[in-house]
Amino acid sequence: MDLDTVKERAGPRQFSPDDDMPREYREAATRMIQFHANSEIMGAYLERPFIREAPSLDRKLAYSAKTQDELGHGQLLYRAAESLGIKTREQMLNELANGEGKFLNCFHYPMESWVETPMIAFFVDGAAMRRQATLKRTSWEPYAHAMDKVVFEEGFHIKHGESILKELATGSKKEQEMVQDAFETWWPRIIQFFGPTDDDSTHHDFSAEVGLKQMTNDELRQSFLNQYLPKAEKYGLEIPDTPTIEQDEDGNYRVAEDELDWEEFFQIAKNEYDPGRGQIDSRKRAHDAVEWVRETLDEYETTASGHAPQAAD
Amino acid sequence: MAATESLSGPNDLDDRERAAVESLLYRLADDEFVIADRYTDWQVRAPTVESDIAIANIAQDELGHARLWYDLLEDFGHTEPELIWERDPETFRHSTLCELPFAEGDWADAIVRSYFYDEAEHLRLEALEESSYPRIRDRVGKIVGEEGYHREHAENWLRRLVGGDEGRERVQEAVDRLFPYALTLFEETEEDAAIDDLGIRTRSPSAMRAEWIETVTGMLTEIGIDARAPATDEDGRVSTDELPDHVGRGGDHTDHWATHYDEITNTYDELGRDHAARLMEDPDDE
Repeated sequence: MDLDTVKERAGPRQFSPDDDMPREYREAATRMIQFHANSEIMGAYLERPFIREAPSLDRKLAYSAKTQDELGHGQLLYRAAESLGIKTREQMLNELANGEGKFLNCFHYPMESWVETPMIAFFVDGAAMRRQATLKRTSWEPYAHAMDKVVFEEGFHIKHGESILKELATGSKKEQEMVQDAFETWWPRIIQFFGPTDDDSTHHDFSAEVGLKQMTNDELRQSFLNQYLPKAEKYGLEIPDTPTIEQDEDGNYRVAEDELDWEEFFQIAKNEYDPGRGQIDSRKRAHDAVEWVRETLDEYETTASGHAPQAAD
Repeated sequence: MAATESLSGPNDLDDRERAAVESLLYRLADDEFVIADRYTDWQVRAPTVESDIAIANIAQDELGHARLWYDLLEDFGHTEPELIWERDPETFRHSTLCELPFAEGDWADAIVRSYFYDEAEHLRLEALEESSYPRIRDRVGKIVGEEGYHREHAENWLRRLVGGDEGRERVQEAVDRLFPYALTLFEETEEDAAIDDLGIRTRSPSAMRAEWIETVTGMLTEIGIDARAPATDEDGRVSTDELPDHVGRGGDHTDHWATHYDEITNTYDELGRDHAARLMEDPDDE
């Protein structure tokens, strides 16, 4: 299929592995899905220590289930990315381990306290949900299909994140202050989640033309602010002064983006932000430490030829 | 054997019955809680995405079981903070097998430990299916099915790991190191006589241990791993030489447990909490 035909036919769930897609399409889709899959893994990596530190048995269960779901989303998404024929899952996982794989800006920041968990589990996941909901109509069918499950499960995660936030925001004075502090630290990063305004986005035009992306970053940011500013206020959180956010007469929010630290954002985008680098490197150590298991599995599968190996999943 | 007369609900037990039921429940709950929390160390760090999801699943099953057993302790008026968050760590009754930390990358330890634990768990649950305490009996069924999957998972992995030289060496090392700790799962305390006598459990720990030793040494030998049955006396009791320095059942733990407990309660303490959020209903509450 040539590129013009792709653009002409581009629509929700329009293309599948049965179609002969041009390389430009397959590369753009791989880049997008791989980024998404990596983000699931790195988000889970960031949150894992809080399974242990969750302050109730039910919260511990819910948090463990959440990180497991995210691993499952990563698995689904790598499969959807693999179906484009550009990279294998192993390649993508190696790239992630080696610090070449890109992932969401928010997951480069370390998390030190439980009071920070709703910043990810409510706000960041809520922001991601805005984007993911539109991706159910992306043109690469395996990606859209993965989104059905991801969006369904993310709904539960966000509810749990909201429940953690509510508990803290209605808790002791100390808890309320701590969660407000965490909100002030995380708010600019959360706004940056959607990237800079569309003028500066390099990959958007093509992705939109071939139906991979369904909404612009600006539209998504609007949608997020519409929904989450009232929620933050409902829980008594004060919206930080930076960046300045104003509402115009049509009810649209204007964010003073020049007040945000884009130098840090682009450093992060290149995997060069020090704390994020720390996350990547510590995950790499963990990944390397079980290389022997993957080698043993390969050995087992080679020597066990003649009969199919049992699944040890 | 004649069925032991059924005990009544939590409010109608005499002191001896209640002490016996509680003692058994603490061990069940603490074992599951601590080993589950240890397993979460592997989440997002396991060798493959699939194994990562599987170990997370197992951790959650065990946590869910811990919750079922702690719920039964709540029937006696204990609260979740008393049972977990504000409890003196030295009163935890889990076996020391559950609390040992994993060395980074030591997946063989995770698999061998899970194999030892789930084989023991299987026997322990079987001995509770006809328990004289109705609420224990009612909950066993929920758990048995999941433990079957855990055993299958561990066995499949063991067979795969010993298929390579490094894997075999690591499995052997984990077996040598963990075997004495696994024996502590069956160590008795002074309440055990009453537990058996009242029919709360239908098989003694010594009898279960004998079967466990036969099963695991048989399986390990079959896959080419050396495993020696420990010396026992005529009552099936294992000599203390075969056990590690810390057994756990009587509250005697390794130093790792104090550190682990501090991490578990870090948030609860940092926030100065005095209650634990409940998100799900207790199945016994109307």
